[in-house]
Amino acid sequence: MKKMKFSVYRFNPDVDKKPYMQDYDVVIEDSDQMLLDALIRIKDLDETLSLRKSCREGVCGSDSMNINGKNGLACITKLSELVEPVVLRPMPGLPVIRDLVVDMTQFFENYNSVKPYLVNNDPPPATERLQSPEDRAKLDGLYECILCGACTTSCPSFWWNPDKFVGPAGLLQAYRFMSDSRDQALDDRLENLEAPDRLYRCHNIMNCVDVCPKKLNPSLAIAKIKDLKFEQAREHKAAKKTTKKSIEIKAL
Amino acid sequence: MVIELLTRRYPGMRAWLMQRLTGLVMAIYSVMLIARVFDLKPQDYQSWLMFFEPWWMKVASLLFWISLTIHAWLGIRDVLKDYVPNPQVRMMMLNVVVALLWVYLAWATWLFCTL
Repeated sequence: MKKMKFSVYRFNPDVDKKPYMQDYDVVIEDSDQMLLDALIRIKDLDETLSLRKSCREGVCGSDSMNINGKNGLACITKLSELVEPVVLRPMPGLPVIRDLVVDMTQFFENYNSVKPYLVNNDPPPATERLQSPEDRAKLDGLYECILCGACTTSCPSFWWNPDKFVGPAGLLQAYRFMSDSRDQALDDRLENLEAPDRLYRCHNIMNCVDVCPKKLNPSLAIAKIKDLKFEQAREHKAAKKTTKKSIEIKAL
Repeated sequence: MVIELLTRRYPGMRAWLMQRLTGLVMAIYSVMLIARVFDLKPQDYQSWLMFFEPWWMKVASLLFWISLTIHAWLGIRDVLKDYVPNPQVRMMMLNVVVALLWVYLAWATWLFCTL
């Protein structure tokens, strides 16, 4: 059992004119291993504190927040690795609903804009659309995204252009479906990202890679989308002369 | 294929690729320039004139300046789009940048042509 110091961002738009930081001294029990455990202790002290949480094991992505200046999931952030006072803020770049809870509407609008689902116009088979193990392996490093928003909200390109730049999470998902052997909309997906600000606002700052709690690499996926653009241009040029050939996608 | 990507069909890729290609031109020129400085070691005004006198040096320098103009335009345009939210102010600043870049390009062209 020990005491830890926390400084937590507080803002209730119904009551507060502007946000402020509130300090808490919290008694941490030996069983409290993760930051979320400490937050639940704080919630016991002050039930007005608002935060999102659900699975408490890094699967749902609900408790994504800014921890000592870096985005992460409270439920898988070890208390023993945090420098005191632990400064907790909501994820940057999104409107704050209350305390550590942000409005993720823009994030999910961007995510939906890349059509994050399979597009296949063939008649459905009796069971399921099968993939070879090799084709399935191409989805590794892509499908694991839990949409916590840590990457997108740590990206300066998203902060400046949230309504234009899709953001790392959305682009990772765009590439996830581009590289799916069952998908038939590769050309449309690439066209969808061709507007100057949707894909190309990524300046390889790589905050997304640094903060991803699932250790994914959106920056590499964005580079792969650009590779596909080159392949698409090669195909368009070849199509003008001869017949069409398919684009080969390699695993990350 | 690169030419295909520089067409209007790919507006996003065109700007992105153009920035990298112009960067490459500037990098190659810079290395060449430094090597030539070490080789000729120009000391005074006359030797600098001779430094830029060969026709290929003028062409390379002009190519560098054109690349710099395009590269600067794309970069500053992005910076202004990011940091100047007011559309009128941003448009005014973009126009100033365009005017300045044209003036600098015309000036550089005149310099290299009259050397």
